[in-house]
Amino acid sequence: MKALVVYAHPNPSSLCAAARDRVTAGLAAAGHEIRLLDLYAEEFIPELSSWEREHHLDDPATKPEIARHAADLRWCDTLVLVYPTWYSAQPAIMKGWIDRVWVNGVAYELPADSNRIRPLLQHIRRIVVVTTHGSSKWVNAVQGEGGKRVAFRSLRVLCSPRCRTTWLALYGADTCSQERRSAFLERVEKKFRTLR
Amino acid sequence: MQVLVVLAHPTAGSLNHAIADRACTALRTAGHDVHLLDLYALGFRAAMTADERAAYHTDEPIVDPLVREHAQLVRTAEALVFVYPTWWSSMPAILKGWLERVFVPGVGFQFNEAGKVRPALTHVRRLVGISTYGSPWPYVKVINDNGRRTIMRTIRINTGTFTRTHWLGLYAIDTATADERERFLERVERRMRSL
Repeated sequence: MKALVVYAHPNPSSLCAAARDRVTAGLAAAGHEIRLLDLYAEEFIPELSSWEREHHLDDPATKPEIARHAADLRWCDTLVLVYPTWYSAQPAIMKGWIDRVWVNGVAYELPADSNRIRPLLQHIRRIVVVTTHGSSKWVNAVQGEGGKRVAFRSLRVLCSPRCRTTWLALYGADTCSQERRSAFLERVEKKFRTLR
Repeated sequence: MQVLVVLAHPTAGSLNHAIADRACTALRTAGHDVHLLDLYALGFRAAMTADERAAYHTDEPIVDPLVREHAQLVRTAEALVFVYPTWWSSMPAILKGWLERVFVPGVGFQFNEAGKVRPALTHVRRLVGISTYGSPWPYVKVINDNGRRTIMRTIRINTGTFTRTHWLGLYAIDTATADERERFLERVERRMRSL
């Protein structure tokens, strides 16, 4: 398996950072190939520029600043997103990675005179989300689980039609006990050790 | 009313800019005090920094002067109007980041003694979202409209019980005619006049 792990948290001692380490440990133990993308560490710029907006249908070869990210997406067959849920979805830096990298010619193509896109990431067979929520599962249900919808609907439709999805989430992370946090991290590592 | 209009589109001269212009003009005509925040023009940084994250659960969650200025505008707003293009079924990163960095504890919501989230936007009486979509309406409905959910649910539960909401969407803009765009602008204008 070729796993692209995309990670977004500004604080290197956060629970998300610990979860990321468990993800890579689990994948490595199972003998999978891993590429780790740490958006904060590489100071990824999340704001799609005016130029990018005007050229959003151009050949991605004309956009060298996203070439490496596009190559990673083309390489992987498993996409793993590790992030804290803020305002019910992915942090801005990860939303910006989607806005800027999942463009025409990388994630989809838009046939002329159409507003229906054609998927280009059909080699991705699984999407795994590892996330922490400050608020409870109930509050997140009321808010509509926006992050889950972005990952498992909006992104998934560009992947394999049989792309599987796995949701690993810790709810109530702001107030939960140390035991629950440890149990969550254990669950994450175990899942990645046995991921097929 | 004090109205705060937040615009998130990178290109001056875009349809979203025209929408924000119409909305502001109509609101001023109706006698409201309008403040427009054009996030791209202001050079707003979307990503929450490590310092901000560290300060998030303290008494002083705001460290950036621009964010402090925006938080003050939010605290006095009686209506919030968001104007943005829907990208990836959600708001652009710059607007998502604006919410994350400005709607911090004490501005967008507050924690009670038990650490539970409680409303802090009870002064907001009207919540409006205006968005343009590349996809047609049925696709947006079936797949996802997360930007709308973020505003109409996640922000809405932190406003008052009687806050009213309005949503205006222009769908399938890649194939929309000039006439359809103009009709949408007129719809925006009428809605804002009678807010």
